[in-house]
This record gives sequence, C-alpha cells and structure tokens, in this order.
Amino acid sequence: MSLSSSLGNAGTPSLRTLPCRPVLLIAAALGMAGLVPLGLDPQGYTLRVLTLTLLFAAMAQSWNIVGGLANQISLGHAGFFGIGAYTSTILLRDLGVSPWLGMIAGMGLAGLAAAILSVPTFRLKGHYFALVTLAFGEVMRVIANSWSSVTGGPVGISVPFAPNSLWMFQYNTVRPYYYVSLIALVLVSVVFWRIKTGALGYRLRAIKENPDAAEVIGIDTYRAKLMAGLVSAVLTAALGTVYAQFSYFFDPDTIFGVASISVRMALIAIVGGVSLTFGPIVGAFFIIPLEEISNAALAGRAAGLSAFVYGALLIAIILVKPQGLLALFGDLYKRLRKESSR
Amino acid sequence: MSAETILQVRGLSRRFGGLTAVNDVSFDLTRGEVLGLIGPNGAGKTTMFNLLVGIHRPSSGSIRLKGTETSGLKPNRIAKLGMTKTFQNVALFQESSVLDNVLTGALLHHPVAQARDAAHEMLRRVGLDHIAGKLAGDLSFPERARVEVARALCTRPDILLLDEVMAALNAVEMEEFLALVRDLRKDGLTIVVVEHHMQAIMTMCDRILVLNFGGLIAEGTPREVAHHPAVVEAYLGKAYTGDHGAH
Repeated sequence: MSLSSSLGNAGTPSLRTLPCRPVLLIAAALGMAGLVPLGLDPQGYTLRVLTLTLLFAAMAQSWNIVGGLANQISLGHAGFFGIGAYTSTILLRDLGVSPWLGMIAGMGLAGLAAAILSVPTFRLKGHYFALVTLAFGEVMRVIANSWSSVTGGPVGISVPFAPNSLWMFQYNTVRPYYYVSLIALVLVSVVFWRIKTGALGYRLRAIKENPDAAEVIGIDTYRAKLMAGLVSAVLTAALGTVYAQFSYFFDPDTIFGVASISVRMALIAIVGGVSLTFGPIVGAFFIIPLEEISNAALAGRAAGLSAFVYGALLIAIILVKPQGLLALFGDLYKRLRKESSR
Repeated sequence: MSAETILQVRGLSRRFGGLTAVNDVSFDLTRGEVLGLIGPNGAGKTTMFNLLVGIHRPSSGSIRLKGTETSGLKPNRIAKLGMTKTFQNVALFQESSVLDNVLTGALLHHPVAQARDAAHEMLRRVGLDHIAGKLAGDLSFPERARVEVARALCTRPDILLLDEVMAALNAVEMEEFLALVRDLRKDGLTIVVVEHHMQAIMTMCDRILVLNFGGLIAEGTPREVAHHPAVVEAYLGKAYTGDHGAH
C-alpha cells in the first residue's frame, strides 16, 4: 500500500453523537435551571446571586478558551469585559442604540484589541504573558478613568432608563436577566466545546504541550493562539454588555478590576477544572455563592474575616486537588463506586 | 533523465554567539533518496535539521525546497511545503493519546473526522494501532519514537528528517523499522537520517554526509565514507567493515 493511498483515502466523517446519558443529564440540568426562577422572588436576592453565578460561569468559560485550551494564563480579561460594557452603554446613552447592537460593536472593538495585544504577547508564556495581559487590563482602567468626557471617568456610567423591552435589553425584574445569562452560558459553553473537540482544540493542546513539535507538523502557532484569543475576547465583551444592562451602573475600578473580574474569571475556571467544559460552571456555582455566604455570615463580625475564610477555602481546594473540583468529585465518585461494589 | 533535486542547500551556516554550529555546508537531495547524516556528538547534525525545518534561522546560506527558498520561513510553512522532522528526544504531546498525537499531524491536510481515519490507518501501518488509546506519556521510548514517526508521516511530507529514532530499538524493532523505511522509500518519500547506529546507516542509506565541528568533511556512498580517512579519524576510529553493531 502506498503512502499516499494510506493517507489520502481517509474515510468520510462519521456522524459522531454524544453518549445518550450525558445528553439527558445536560437536558435535565437545563430544564431545572429553566424552572428555578419560577419558584423564586423575581426581584429577590437569591435570583440575583444565581444570575451573577451564571454570568460569571459564562465569563470563566470564555476565559477557559485561552487559559485552559491554550494554557495562556490571562489576567487582563477585564479589559475585554469593560470594552463590551462601555461600548454598548455609551452607544445607548449618546445615540440611543440598542444594547444588542452595542454588544456587536463592543465585540468588534474587543476583537481588535485582542488582535493588537497578540503582537507583543505572541512569544510570551507563563508569568510574562500573565503580566502583559494584567498591564493591558490596567491600561484600559486608566483610560476609562481619565477619559471622563466619554466614559464618565471615576464617577462611573449609568445605563439610561427605558421601559421593559427586549430590543432595549432592559427589565424591571431580575428574571429576564437570569434567562439571558443562562442562554449566554449555554452558548459560550457550546462554543468552548466545539473548539475543544475541533481542529483548533487539537492544535491548541499541541501548542500547550510542545510548541516546536506543533510547528514542525504544520501548526501555525501564532494563528491558533490568535484565533483562541479573539474568540475569548469577543465572547467576554458580549458578556460585558449583559453585565452592564443587568447592573445599570458601573465604574472603571469595578468593570476593569483585576481581583473582581480578571482574577475571578481565572479562579472560577481553575477551581472548577481548567480546560474542562463543565469546570467553569462547577467553579462558578462554588465560588460566587461562597463569596456571598461568607460575606453575609462574617462581614459584620470582623473586618476582613469573610475574605480570609473565603481565601482559606480556595487555598485548601487548590492544595487538595489542583486539577479542580470536577476531578475531586470524580475521585469521590470512583471511591464510592468501589466501596458499594465490595 | 536526471533524478529530481528536491532539496538544495548552499553555504549554510549557523552561529550561536562565538560558536559556529554549522559552517558553510552545501549538498543536494534527490527525490526518493535516503541520505545519512553522521558525525560525532556536537558535530552540528541536529542543528542542521533545525535549520532545514525552520526552528533555527540560518546565519547565512540558502535552502531551496522543491525550488522554493525556505530559509527564514516558519516551521509550519516548511511543513506545508513538505518537509518535517522527528526530535532527538522525542517530542510527543504527552498528555494526549497516541491516536490524538497522530491525528494532530493529519490535521495539516484533513478535517478532524478524516484526520482520525488517516491516523488509524497510519498507526496500523507502523504497527501501533493496538495502543491507539494509550496516553503518549505512558509509552516506552521505542514506542514513542514510532508514534512520532507516524505523526510526522501523517503530515504527508516529501522529505522526512529522522533524528536518532533507532536509539534504544532492539534487533527485531530495528529490522521492523528498516522494513518501514524501505516501504516508505518505495512510495517516493525522501528521508534524511541522523543516526549513530552504523549498521543501520550503512544498510539503509544511498549516500552519507559526514559532519565534524559543523563542517562537511566527507560525502559519498556508505562504502566510500566508511573508508574515508577523515571520517575514520574524526568519527569511526577505524574503517567500518560491517562486522560490528552500534557505534
């Protein structure tokens, strides 16, 4: 058999379907997630926390494309998030443009920013990449603080009030934002899963493990990393618009915050299980409620106590299972099965 | 009709600071040829491979692959033009399966589903289909080397550079590998081999280049090179007669 025939006659693609059980589990989880708000106060605190949880899960999922698949630990994703939030809000405030259109404009700007950022960061990895992306987020924060005539400066910016409207993406209850966040999480997760199981996912894994070997088998490492960075930035910017519409008001220190946005996105993905499709979802459903509970239970007792307890718990998890909570649950499940089969 | 020159190297040099790793080397490669590249450790063999595939940029000189100047091109562009290599220390994607490693090579010409089929076919060809699901990091050295060859072959190269893939192979594995080289050659693949195993080099190569201190000190058929005084002095120690195994 000739080499060309052994390689050239690759079979036609078979229709690959997901195993039945996971699909049913995902459908059941989505069904439950769809029903949950119906039993909760539409203006209530619980629904608000759940909405933020879904939104942060989606943000961590978009970070996971760069941080998980390409192993480029970005600490500057707040830059893209803020670009999305500011673009749609400024367009709405000054020109009355629908936030959905503003979202598209923000995605375009974030994509442009990611393309520009890719030039100095292409050859960087590890700490150096993290530091440059951190600087990018900080530069964006400084610009927003300084450019008061457009951004409102340190005072912040408010989303102009509009009556309930899908087109203007504004509601007087939390419930619609919950559903938008849920849909956003599903969409971002589908994009992540498609990248992970597609050609780009294989290429990113190859680059992550050995860039020289990846190059000599024909992988354009710059292009693959750029693609991952663009998709991640664009999705993060879209979520910035969702956050802006949901919160009605934000300022540069909040929207471009290193700890509140950039590090939190990375942390959620890492604690849940970096590069895993369900990692950021598990991470968000652990971290956001944990923050809220520790704040509610401990904030009034001693200054910094809630942050201390929250931080200590995260350190414990990372020390016990650096691969994240999903791996920890996997180990526990295996142990339980072993014990029940005895 | 003269044989087609697929690769033309002229005056190739590479300096690292004060060290000249490759010094003014010129040679041609004919399609379908198996060329050996030998020399003592530090002679510049691996640097030469890295120059050919674009991992290093030449300090001077030219490399023409199928008529296209490739010096200065990135390795992925050179792979697309038809030249790839394996690594001396075997550079597999350790946390991926054997199948995924080989599939990643096939992505150069196929979408994922077809790349998977092509990878299975290649693994069958090199006798590794039974370990397709194993993690690359769990393989023995000879298995890893063969997976790397399979991955490189999946890029459908015209020229394959093999950097010491026969190290640590036993006699049976060596014979299987030589049979694979013969088979690939029948398909028209051009192969350049860096190898210390003299018996294997003498058996499989049409022509041998000998490097020492980055410079080309001899070139010829295995028989000519084995008795070349400069090669005997710099590398072999005594004229190679074929009655001893590894160098």
